[in-house]
Amino acid sequence: MSETTEKPAGNGFEPRIIAFVCNWCTYLGADLAGTNRLEYPSNVRIIRLPCTGRIDFNLVVKALEVGADAVIVSGCHPGDCHYTAGNYHARRRWMLFREVLETLGVDLHRIHFAWISAAEGKKWAQFVADVTAQTRELGPYNEYRQIIEAEVS
Amino acid sequence: MQQQELRQLARKLLEEGTVKVVIGYGQPVAGAPAFPVFITDPAKVDTLVWNEQCFHNLTGYLKRKEIRALGKPAIVVKGCDERTLVMLEKESQIVRSDIYVIGMACSGVGEPQAAKCACCEVHMPRLADSVIGQVDNPPVDASARYAVLDEFLSAYPTPAARMAYWQEELGRCVKCYACRQICPLCYCERCIFDKNRPTCVDTSPTLKGNFGYHITRAFHLAARCIECEECTRACPVGIDLRLLNQSLSRGAEEHFGFRAGVDPEAELVVGSYSLKDREDFIQ
Amino acid sequence: MSETITKDALLKLVDEWIGQGKRTIGPTEIKPGHIRYARLEDSAALKLGGYIRPQNSVKEFVFPKHEKLYRYLFEGKEISLAEADGEPAATVVVGSRPCDAAAFDILDRVFNWDFVDEQFNARRRATTIVTIACREWDDYCFCTSVGLGPAAPRGSDVLLMPLDGGAYEVRALTDAGRALFAGHTTPAEVTATEPAGPERKFDMESVGEFLRASWDKPLWRDEALRCLGCGACTYECPTCHCFDIVDEGNARGGYRARNWDACQFRMFTVHASGHNPRPDQPSRQRQRILHKFRIYPDKFGELLCTGCGNCGRACPVGLGVLNVLEAAAKAAVEG
Repeated sequence: MSETTEKPAGNGFEPRIIAFVCNWCTYLGADLAGTNRLEYPSNVRIIRLPCTGRIDFNLVVKALEVGADAVIVSGCHPGDCHYTAGNYHARRRWMLFREVLETLGVDLHRIHFAWISAAEGKKWAQFVADVTAQTRELGPYNEYRQIIEAEVS
Repeated sequence: MQQQELRQLARKLLEEGTVKVVIGYGQPVAGAPAFPVFITDPAKVDTLVWNEQCFHNLTGYLKRKEIRALGKPAIVVKGCDERTLVMLEKESQIVRSDIYVIGMACSGVGEPQAAKCACCEVHMPRLADSVIGQVDNPPVDASARYAVLDEFLSAYPTPAARMAYWQEELGRCVKCYACRQICPLCYCERCIFDKNRPTCVDTSPTLKGNFGYHITRAFHLAARCIECEECTRACPVGIDLRLLNQSLSRGAEEHFGFRAGVDPEAELVVGSYSLKDREDFIQ
Repeated sequence: MSETITKDALLKLVDEWIGQGKRTIGPTEIKPGHIRYARLEDSAALKLGGYIRPQNSVKEFVFPKHEKLYRYLFEGKEISLAEADGEPAATVVVGSRPCDAAAFDILDRVFNWDFVDEQFNARRRATTIVTIACREWDDYCFCTSVGLGPAAPRGSDVLLMPLDGGAYEVRALTDAGRALFAGHTTPAEVTATEPAGPERKFDMESVGEFLRASWDKPLWRDEALRCLGCGACTYECPTCHCFDIVDEGNARGGYRARNWDACQFRMFTVHASGHNPRPDQPSRQRQRILHKFRIYPDKFGELLCTGCGNCGRACPVGLGVLNVLEAAAKAAVEG
């Protein structure tokens, strides 16, 4: 069994992770991981957007609202954006957005940002494995769940 | 006497037809809070007052169509309110030459004095067409600027503590939108919170709807908020909204050396980028 | 011969209600400088003096800011519906003002008009109101101008009249009120002084007449210029009751709910076509005043206002209905 999918014996909590990735780099990187038969945890749900510049911070909030235990945001390296500058705008936005999340008490250990290119299939697989392991340790994101009301029990 | 001078200037501007309306402060009951007045008749300029009760930021009225319909305005501003005018011009919402700015020298408002006045660097207006009064600009300890935020962060040091605080505070929000309506920089004609095909943020005053609203509004003001603290004053249920705005203002200052509305030449932060932006949290 | 209760005995009684599991509401300092009606954990939280009136009204305990009407759940191709909330909890409001209590009587009319609102009625039945008469008032108060007063009994189950020395004369006005205080009062030969209340600020008759013919008057534009179009006045008002119905949920399920709404919002009267019959703030202010002082009285025989003054206090720019009515009174005289 490859290193990237080892699961410790535990209480069976499986984190739900949502990943917002850009179409031209990270999504293709994830695809490359697939074609290379690299295994990585299936806890992640990938949502493809044209560019990280398109990622509204509200999407991160909504991911938490629907019960994500962790959120990944990933795109092209600076200088490689398919639309030239989308990731620069995104980077600025994220630098600011983390400040207000910190004041609100959102656990920043659950929000992960990365630059992963179309050639970095291995990096993607490792990154997802790391995030999954970290989130498993942290446990379910209960504090945010208290805010969610749309669930019907 | 600033108040006397202000009334004289207002009368002159109206009588000569330089402006059609003077937006200022009125106070029908001495000692009670002043509130915004709109003088169109030179005979009524004695309605205008100037004292420590003049805490409103009047620049928000420049966006309202009922006020624009009155014609070219003169507006009474304090040094802090002026920062809004800088931002509004940079965001192409006003044409500076279409407004007559009356700047009032101010040594602080509110009784007890508002927290923001303790670290004010603009007691004297910088960009007005006329300045009334004279007051010193004492040196200011820049670290005091975010004193309120620092107090909060040390009183609630962990994410769990902060989250509990905000659940309690934002739980009281009734979605009256006073914070949005009074904010001079919330001028979108189609606000995201009024959208319902599809709905972006739950309108219900549940925790989910309130968190969604306040995070979004704070972030839409990132590096734009001029820290007039009107939102916090307007909130009827006493939520300390400026904590959210201060954390973003500090972020803008620390990461990009930018303070909204201070330097008319500085490039706006959101909507631009630099190859030199550096972060350590992206893997 | 009156029934009386000391302050200490009242506080003990409040603790008893809390101990019995009743949802007990009273004025409390939720944070420095903010006194609001809220749920009390114990009688020590009850703030009985040192302020004019709480910032909010009591309506939220009978007509909440957010109330689920029903829930739905998607299970494969099936949709199941469920009642939203169970029976409302038995509630006691202690320390309301006469201007808060009177509002319930007034609201009963519209909530039992062409549609009988059972959710409202159920909460109403489950709520007992113990009002404390006012001995102080400020410039925002105008209960005496709208036919009420600092000791008006309307809508209350029990009216406590403050006596010199800190005790209260207990006037139980309904069976529910009698039941609540039975055995806890002491007879005494005292009668509380009837407080005078704020002086009348305007004559409702002549203002009402003026309002009837005021549709095109410049008053509305002049008074509404500083209005921001928020809902602070509406939401702190004891008698405002407009609401919006929303469906919220996700792929798993959700709920239909009603939330407070305010006629001061720009979007309040936007039609599906995009047309807005109240396109500016003056027309919305006019609607607010006419609804409260002409339309509701014409329909139900009641003013939709109890003169509590919350609107003026809550408004970030000091525009309460009192300001507009005083302007109307002035305009009525000047013609």
